[in-house]
Amino acid sequence: MLRAALSGAVVAFVGVAALTAQQVGNLDAPTPKPKSYVIYAAEPQEVTVGKRSTLELHFRVVDGFHVNSHTPKSELLIPTQLALQPAAGVKAEPVAYPAGTSYSFSFDPSEKLDVYTGAFTVKLPVVAEAGTHTVEGTLRYQACDHAACYPPKSLPIQVIFTAK
Amino acid sequence: MKRNGLVLSVMVVGIALLLWAGWHNLRERRKAMQEARDSRVVLMPAKPGQTPDAETPDSEMTGPHMLGKVAPSFTLATLDGKKVSLSDYKGRPVLVNFWGTWCAPCKVEMPWFEEFRKQYAAQGFEILGLTDDADAGNEAIAKVVRKTGVTYPILLTDGKVQKAYGGLDYLPVSFYVDKNGLVVDETAGLGSKDEIEAHIKKTISSGSSTAAGGQ
Repeated sequence: MLRAALSGAVVAFVGVAALTAQQVGNLDAPTPKPKSYVIYAAEPQEVTVGKRSTLELHFRVVDGFHVNSHTPKSELLIPTQLALQPAAGVKAEPVAYPAGTSYSFSFDPSEKLDVYTGAFTVKLPVVAEAGTHTVEGTLRYQACDHAACYPPKSLPIQVIFTAK
Repeated sequence: MKRNGLVLSVMVVGIALLLWAGWHNLRERRKAMQEARDSRVVLMPAKPGQTPDAETPDSEMTGPHMLGKVAPSFTLATLDGKKVSLSDYKGRPVLVNFWGTWCAPCKVEMPWFEEFRKQYAAQGFEILGLTDDADAGNEAIAKVVRKTGVTYPILLTDGKVQKAYGGLDYLPVSFYVDKNGLVVDETAGLGSKDEIEAHIKKTISSGSSTAAGGQ
Protein backbone atom coordinates (compact mmCIF):
# COMPACT_ATOMS: atom_id res chain seq x y z
CA MET A 1 0.00 0.00 0.00
CA LEU A 2 2.86 2.30 0.88
CA ARG A 3 4.49 1.55 -2.48
CA ALA A 4 1.24 2.36 -4.30
CA ALA A 5 0.90 5.58 -2.37
CA LEU A 6 4.51 6.49 -3.17
CA SER A 7 3.96 5.83 -6.89
CA GLY A 8 0.82 7.94 -6.81
CA ALA A 9 2.65 10.76 -5.11
CA VAL A 10 5.47 10.69 -7.69
CA VAL A 11 2.97 10.72 -10.59
CA ALA A 12 1.07 13.58 -8.98
CA PHE A 13 4.28 15.54 -8.37
CA VAL A 14 5.46 15.09 -11.97
CA GLY A 15 2.03 16.10 -13.21
CA VAL A 16 1.93 19.23 -11.09
CA ALA A 17 5.49 20.15 -12.07
CA ALA A 18 4.74 19.65 -15.77
CA LEU A 19 1.53 21.65 -15.53
CA THR A 20 3.24 24.47 -13.69
CA ALA A 21 6.12 24.51 -16.18
CA GLN A 22 3.68 24.63 -19.09
CA GLN A 23 1.69 27.46 -17.56
CA VAL A 24 4.81 29.42 -16.73
CA GLY A 25 6.15 28.79 -20.24
CA ASN A 26 2.94 30.10 -21.80
CA LEU A 27 2.85 33.14 -19.61
CA ASP A 28 6.47 34.01 -20.28
CA ALA A 29 6.30 33.39 -24.03
CA PRO A 30 7.01 36.76 -25.66
CA THR A 31 4.84 38.02 -28.47
CA PRO A 32 6.87 37.83 -31.67
CA LYS A 33 7.86 41.38 -32.61
CA PRO A 34 10.21 41.45 -35.57
CA LYS A 35 12.48 44.48 -35.56
CA SER A 36 13.56 43.78 -39.10
CA TYR A 37 11.46 42.16 -41.79
CA VAL A 38 14.43 41.12 -43.94
CA ILE A 39 17.44 39.16 -42.69
CA TYR A 40 20.82 39.11 -44.42
CA ALA A 41 22.88 35.92 -44.26
CA ALA A 42 26.51 37.07 -44.43
CA GLU A 43 28.62 34.26 -45.86
CA PRO A 44 32.35 34.65 -46.61
CA GLN A 45 32.94 33.99 -50.31
CA GLU A 46 35.97 33.42 -52.56
CA VAL A 47 36.66 34.73 -56.04
CA THR A 48 39.55 34.52 -58.47
CA VAL A 49 41.90 37.51 -58.53
CA GLY A 50 41.39 39.83 -61.51
CA LYS A 51 38.60 37.68 -62.97
CA ARG A 52 34.97 38.79 -63.19
CA SER A 53 33.13 36.80 -60.55
CA THR A 54 29.63 36.96 -59.15
CA LEU A 55 28.99 37.24 -55.42
CA GLU A 56 25.68 36.02 -54.09
CA LEU A 57 23.95 38.03 -51.38
CA HIS A 58 21.35 35.93 -49.61
CA PHE A 59 18.39 37.62 -47.98
CA ARG A 60 15.30 36.21 -46.33
CA VAL A 61 11.98 37.92 -45.75
CA VAL A 62 10.56 37.00 -42.33
CA ASP A 63 7.64 34.55 -42.54
CA GLY A 64 4.26 36.21 -42.86
CA PHE A 65 5.65 39.31 -44.57
CA HIS A 66 6.54 40.35 -48.10
CA VAL A 67 8.55 43.22 -49.54
CA ASN A 68 8.15 44.94 -52.89
CA SER A 69 10.46 43.50 -55.53
CA HIS A 70 13.03 45.71 -57.26
CA THR A 71 10.40 46.35 -59.92
CA PRO A 72 7.03 46.83 -58.20
CA LYS A 73 4.01 47.33 -60.45
CA SER A 74 3.46 50.90 -59.30
CA GLU A 75 5.95 53.76 -59.34
CA LEU A 76 4.50 54.89 -56.01
CA LEU A 77 5.54 51.71 -54.25
CA ILE A 78 9.03 51.59 -52.77
CA PRO A 79 11.27 49.08 -54.57
CA THR A 80 13.79 46.86 -52.83
CA GLN A 81 17.10 48.50 -53.58
CA LEU A 82 20.69 47.76 -52.63
CA ALA A 83 23.15 50.65 -52.40
CA LEU A 84 26.84 49.72 -52.11
CA GLN A 85 29.78 51.83 -51.00
CA PRO A 86 32.96 51.85 -53.10
CA ALA A 87 35.67 49.54 -51.71
CA ALA A 88 39.39 49.75 -52.41
CA GLY A 89 40.63 47.04 -54.77
CA VAL A 90 37.11 46.07 -55.84
CA LYS A 91 35.47 47.00 -59.12
CA ALA A 92 31.76 46.34 -58.67
CA GLU A 93 29.20 46.23 -61.45
CA PRO A 94 25.51 46.99 -60.95
CA VAL A 95 23.73 44.33 -58.93
CA ALA A 96 21.19 41.95 -60.48
CA TYR A 97 17.89 41.51 -58.65
CA PRO A 98 15.73 38.41 -58.85
CA ALA A 99 12.29 38.52 -60.42
CA GLY A 100 9.45 38.97 -57.98
CA THR A 101 6.30 36.92 -57.61
CA SER A 102 2.74 38.09 -58.07
CA TYR A 103 0.80 38.96 -54.91
CA SER A 104 -2.58 40.51 -54.18
CA PHE A 105 -4.44 41.29 -50.96
CA SER A 106 -7.31 38.91 -50.31
CA PHE A 107 -9.80 41.80 -50.14
CA ASP A 108 -8.87 42.96 -53.63
CA PRO A 109 -7.55 40.15 -55.83
CA SER A 110 -7.63 42.40 -58.89
CA GLU A 111 -4.72 44.55 -57.67
CA LYS A 112 -1.51 42.67 -58.48
CA LEU A 113 1.75 43.48 -56.76
CA ASP A 114 5.25 42.20 -57.47
CA VAL A 115 6.97 41.04 -54.28
CA TYR A 116 9.70 38.97 -52.67
CA THR A 117 8.76 36.43 -50.03
CA GLY A 118 10.99 33.92 -48.24
CA ALA A 119 14.56 33.70 -49.55
CA PHE A 120 15.83 35.89 -52.37
CA THR A 121 19.31 36.39 -53.78
CA VAL A 122 20.88 39.54 -55.16
CA LYS A 123 23.90 38.98 -57.41
CA LEU A 124 26.91 41.28 -57.36
CA PRO A 125 29.48 40.96 -60.18
CA VAL A 126 32.96 42.07 -59.11
CA VAL A 127 36.56 42.13 -60.29
CA ALA A 128 38.87 42.20 -57.27
CA GLU A 129 42.55 42.50 -56.40
CA ALA A 130 44.15 39.88 -54.16
CA GLY A 131 43.17 39.96 -50.52
CA THR A 132 40.14 40.06 -48.28
CA HIS A 133 37.59 42.75 -49.06
CA THR A 134 34.56 44.19 -47.34
CA VAL A 135 31.91 45.99 -49.34
CA GLU A 136 29.50 47.93 -47.19
CA GLY A 137 25.97 48.58 -48.30
CA THR A 138 22.35 49.18 -47.37
CA LEU A 139 19.26 47.33 -48.48
CA ARG A 140 16.23 49.60 -48.53
CA TYR A 141 12.91 47.84 -48.50
CA GLN A 142 9.31 48.27 -47.52
CA ALA A 143 7.45 45.37 -45.96
CA CYS A 144 3.79 44.45 -45.64
CA ASP A 145 1.87 41.55 -44.18
CA HIS A 146 -1.50 40.30 -45.38
CA ALA A 147 -3.31 43.49 -44.35
CA ALA A 148 -0.94 46.27 -43.32
CA CYS A 149 2.25 47.92 -44.49
CA TYR A 150 5.23 49.03 -42.43
CA PRO A 151 7.34 52.15 -43.01
CA PRO A 152 10.39 51.75 -45.26
CA LYS A 153 13.46 50.34 -43.53
CA SER A 154 17.19 50.25 -44.26
CA LEU A 155 19.22 47.15 -43.51
CA PRO A 156 22.99 47.69 -43.30
CA ILE A 157 25.01 44.82 -44.78
CA GLN A 158 28.63 43.80 -45.23
CA VAL A 159 29.74 41.66 -48.15
CA ILE A 160 32.98 39.97 -47.10
CA PHE A 161 34.97 38.01 -49.67
CA THR A 162 38.51 36.93 -50.47
CA ALA A 163 40.18 37.15 -53.89
CA LYS A 164 42.88 34.48 -54.42
CA MET B 1 -0.85 -0.13 9.22
CA LYS B 2 -0.97 2.91 11.48
CA ARG B 3 2.45 3.96 10.14
CA ASN B 4 1.26 3.54 6.54
CA GLY B 5 -1.72 5.72 7.24
CA LEU B 6 0.51 8.39 8.68
CA VAL B 7 2.81 8.31 5.64
CA LEU B 8 -0.22 8.50 3.32
CA SER B 9 -1.55 11.51 5.21
CA VAL B 10 1.81 13.26 4.95
CA MET B 11 1.83 12.59 1.20
CA VAL B 12 -1.69 13.91 0.71
CA VAL B 13 -0.75 17.06 2.57
CA GLY B 14 2.45 17.35 0.47
CA ILE B 15 0.56 17.02 -2.82
CA ALA B 16 -2.03 19.52 -1.64
CA LEU B 17 0.80 21.94 -0.80
CA LEU B 18 2.36 21.42 -4.25
CA LEU B 19 -0.95 22.11 -5.97
CA TRP B 20 -1.51 25.21 -3.88
CA ALA B 21 2.04 26.44 -4.59
CA GLY B 22 1.56 25.95 -8.34
CA TRP B 23 -1.77 27.76 -8.31
CA HIS B 24 -0.41 30.56 -6.15
CA ASN B 25 2.62 30.95 -8.45
CA LEU B 26 0.36 31.12 -11.50
CA ARG B 27 -1.89 33.71 -9.87
CA GLU B 28 1.07 35.88 -8.89
CA ARG B 29 2.47 35.74 -12.42
CA ARG B 30 -0.88 36.65 -13.94
CA LYS B 31 -1.11 39.58 -11.52
CA ALA B 32 2.40 40.70 -12.43
CA MET B 33 1.60 40.45 -16.15
CA GLN B 34 -1.59 42.44 -15.69
CA GLU B 35 0.36 45.13 -13.85
CA ALA B 36 2.92 45.16 -16.66
CA ARG B 37 0.12 45.55 -19.22
CA ASP B 38 -1.44 48.35 -17.19
CA SER B 39 1.84 50.22 -16.95
CA ARG B 40 2.31 49.84 -20.71
CA VAL B 41 -1.02 51.55 -21.25
CA VAL B 42 0.11 54.40 -19.03
CA LEU B 43 3.06 54.93 -21.37
CA MET B 44 0.74 55.66 -24.31
CA PRO B 45 0.07 59.34 -25.05
CA ALA B 46 -3.06 60.12 -23.05
CA LYS B 47 -3.71 63.67 -24.22
CA PRO B 48 -3.80 65.28 -27.63
CA GLY B 49 -0.44 66.69 -28.56
CA GLN B 50 1.39 64.84 -25.82
CA THR B 51 4.41 63.11 -27.31
CA PRO B 52 6.31 60.07 -26.09
CA ASP B 53 10.01 60.50 -25.27
CA ALA B 54 11.22 58.06 -27.88
CA GLU B 55 10.00 55.34 -30.16
CA THR B 56 10.96 51.91 -28.96
CA PRO B 57 11.09 48.78 -31.10
CA ASP B 58 8.83 47.11 -28.54
CA SER B 59 6.04 49.44 -29.55
CA GLU B 60 5.88 47.76 -32.93
CA MET B 61 2.71 45.94 -33.84
CA THR B 62 0.86 47.00 -30.72
CA GLY B 63 -1.74 48.98 -32.68
CA PRO B 64 -3.66 52.03 -31.64
CA HIS B 65 -5.36 52.31 -28.24
CA MET B 66 -7.78 55.17 -28.64
CA LEU B 67 -11.05 53.33 -28.18
CA GLY B 68 -13.49 55.26 -25.96
CA LYS B 69 -11.20 58.29 -25.79
CA VAL B 70 -11.86 61.76 -27.14
CA ALA B 71 -10.37 61.98 -30.62
CA PRO B 72 -7.30 64.25 -30.39
CA SER B 73 -7.88 67.55 -32.12
CA PHE B 74 -5.74 68.66 -35.05
CA THR B 75 -5.46 71.36 -37.65
CA LEU B 76 -3.68 70.32 -40.83
CA ALA B 77 -3.19 71.64 -44.33
CA THR B 78 -4.70 70.22 -47.51
CA LEU B 79 -2.69 69.85 -50.71
CA ASP B 80 -3.93 73.35 -51.63
CA GLY B 81 -2.71 74.79 -48.35
CA LYS B 82 -6.18 75.18 -46.85
CA LYS B 83 -6.35 74.57 -43.07
CA VAL B 84 -8.78 71.92 -41.90
CA SER B 85 -9.50 71.04 -38.27
CA LEU B 86 -11.27 68.05 -36.80
CA SER B 87 -13.36 70.56 -34.84
CA ASP B 88 -14.76 71.82 -38.18
CA TYR B 89 -16.79 68.60 -38.17
CA LYS B 90 -18.09 68.92 -34.63
CA GLY B 91 -21.38 67.06 -34.18
CA ARG B 92 -20.81 64.87 -37.25
CA PRO B 93 -19.59 61.28 -37.54
CA VAL B 94 -16.05 61.32 -38.97
CA LEU B 95 -13.65 58.65 -40.17
CA VAL B 96 -10.04 59.71 -39.57
CA ASN B 97 -7.95 57.52 -41.87
CA PHE B 98 -4.15 57.48 -41.84
CA TRP B 99 -2.65 56.30 -45.14
CA GLY B 100 0.57 56.53 -47.15
CA THR B 101 1.60 56.66 -50.78
CA TRP B 102 3.72 53.51 -50.31
CA CYS B 103 0.89 51.61 -48.66
CA ALA B 104 -0.83 49.27 -51.13
CA PRO B 105 -3.70 48.15 -48.84
CA CYS B 106 -4.49 51.83 -48.12
CA LYS B 107 -5.16 52.31 -51.82
CA VAL B 108 -7.47 49.30 -51.82
CA GLU B 109 -9.81 50.79 -49.20
CA MET B 110 -9.76 54.44 -50.30
CA PRO B 111 -12.23 53.96 -53.20
CA TRP B 112 -14.51 52.09 -50.74
CA PHE B 113 -14.35 55.06 -48.37
CA GLU B 114 -15.34 57.38 -51.21
CA GLU B 115 -18.30 55.17 -52.02
CA PHE B 116 -19.48 55.08 -48.38
CA ARG B 117 -18.97 58.82 -48.02
CA LYS B 118 -21.52 59.40 -50.77
CA GLN B 119 -23.83 56.69 -49.44
CA TYR B 120 -23.94 58.13 -45.92
CA ALA B 121 -23.63 61.84 -46.76
CA ALA B 122 -27.24 62.43 -45.66
CA GLN B 123 -26.28 61.36 -42.13
CA GLY B 124 -23.48 63.94 -42.09
CA PHE B 125 -20.75 61.34 -42.44
CA GLU B 126 -17.33 62.66 -43.46
CA ILE B 127 -13.89 61.21 -44.06
CA LEU B 128 -10.54 62.89 -43.44
CA GLY B 129 -7.57 61.20 -45.14
CA LEU B 130 -4.37 61.98 -43.25
CA THR B 131 -1.26 61.29 -45.35
CA ASP B 132 1.32 59.71 -43.08
CA ASP B 133 4.18 60.28 -45.52
CA ALA B 134 3.64 63.97 -46.21
CA ASP B 135 7.31 64.12 -47.25
CA ALA B 136 6.47 62.09 -50.37
CA GLY B 137 5.54 65.41 -51.92
CA ASN B 138 2.28 66.90 -53.15
CA GLU B 139 2.69 65.48 -56.64
CA ALA B 140 2.93 61.85 -55.48
CA ILE B 141 0.05 62.33 -53.03
CA ALA B 142 -2.11 63.98 -55.69
CA LYS B 143 -1.38 61.09 -58.04
CA VAL B 144 -2.75 58.56 -55.51
CA VAL B 145 -5.76 60.79 -54.88
CA ARG B 146 -6.52 60.88 -58.62
CA LYS B 147 -5.95 57.15 -59.06
CA THR B 148 -8.18 56.17 -56.15
CA GLY B 149 -10.81 58.77 -57.11
CA VAL B 150 -11.28 60.15 -53.61
CA THR B 151 -12.81 63.60 -53.16
CA TYR B 152 -12.80 63.82 -49.36
CA PRO B 153 -10.25 66.15 -47.69
CA ILE B 154 -6.68 64.88 -47.87
CA LEU B 155 -4.54 66.38 -45.13
CA LEU B 156 -0.78 66.51 -44.72
CA THR B 157 0.37 65.23 -41.34
CA ASP B 158 2.84 67.13 -39.19
CA GLY B 159 4.38 64.29 -37.18
CA LYS B 160 2.54 65.37 -34.03
CA VAL B 161 -0.87 64.08 -35.05
CA GLN B 162 0.40 60.52 -35.49
CA LYS B 163 1.79 60.58 -31.95
CA ALA B 164 -1.43 62.10 -30.61
CA TYR B 165 -3.28 59.11 -32.06
CA GLY B 166 -1.06 56.62 -30.22
CA GLY B 167 1.86 56.42 -32.66
CA LEU B 168 1.41 54.63 -35.93
CA ASP B 169 3.69 51.69 -36.59
CA TYR B 170 1.96 50.63 -39.77
CA LEU B 171 -0.75 51.61 -42.21
CA PRO B 172 -3.64 51.81 -42.82
CA VAL B 173 -5.03 52.85 -39.43
CA SER B 174 -8.54 54.27 -39.03
CA PHE B 175 -10.38 55.94 -36.17
CA TYR B 176 -14.14 56.20 -36.24
CA VAL B 177 -15.19 59.33 -34.36
CA ASP B 178 -18.84 59.74 -33.38
CA LYS B 179 -20.90 62.94 -33.08
CA ASN B 180 -19.64 63.42 -29.51
CA GLY B 181 -16.04 63.34 -30.64
CA LEU B 182 -15.36 59.93 -29.13
CA VAL B 183 -13.43 57.17 -30.88
CA VAL B 184 -16.03 54.40 -31.09
CA ASP B 185 -14.00 52.09 -33.32
CA GLU B 186 -10.42 51.78 -34.49
CA THR B 187 -8.93 49.48 -37.08
CA ALA B 188 -5.36 48.64 -38.00
CA GLY B 189 -4.73 47.08 -41.37
CA LEU B 190 -7.04 46.43 -44.27
CA GLY B 191 -10.43 44.96 -43.42
CA SER B 192 -13.23 43.85 -45.70
CA LYS B 193 -15.60 46.34 -47.30
CA ASP B 194 -18.46 44.94 -45.19
CA GLU B 195 -16.48 45.44 -41.98
CA ILE B 196 -15.75 49.04 -42.91
CA GLU B 197 -19.43 49.72 -43.61
CA ALA B 198 -20.36 48.16 -40.24
CA HIS B 199 -17.91 50.52 -38.48
CA ILE B 200 -19.39 53.49 -40.34
CA LYS B 201 -22.96 52.52 -39.42
CA LYS B 202 -21.95 52.11 -35.78
CA THR B 203 -20.26 55.54 -35.81
CA ILE B 204 -23.30 57.22 -37.34
CA SER B 205 -25.67 55.67 -34.81
CA SER B 206 -23.42 56.43 -31.84
CA GLY B 207 -23.70 59.60 -29.78
CA SER B 208 -26.33 62.28 -29.57
CA SER B 209 -26.78 64.56 -32.57
CA THR B 210 -27.15 67.54 -30.25
CA ALA B 211 -24.09 66.82 -28.11
CA ALA B 212 -21.23 69.28 -28.14
CA GLY B 213 -18.47 66.66 -28.35
CA GLY B 214 -14.78 66.96 -27.72
CA GLN B 215 -13.57 67.59 -31.25
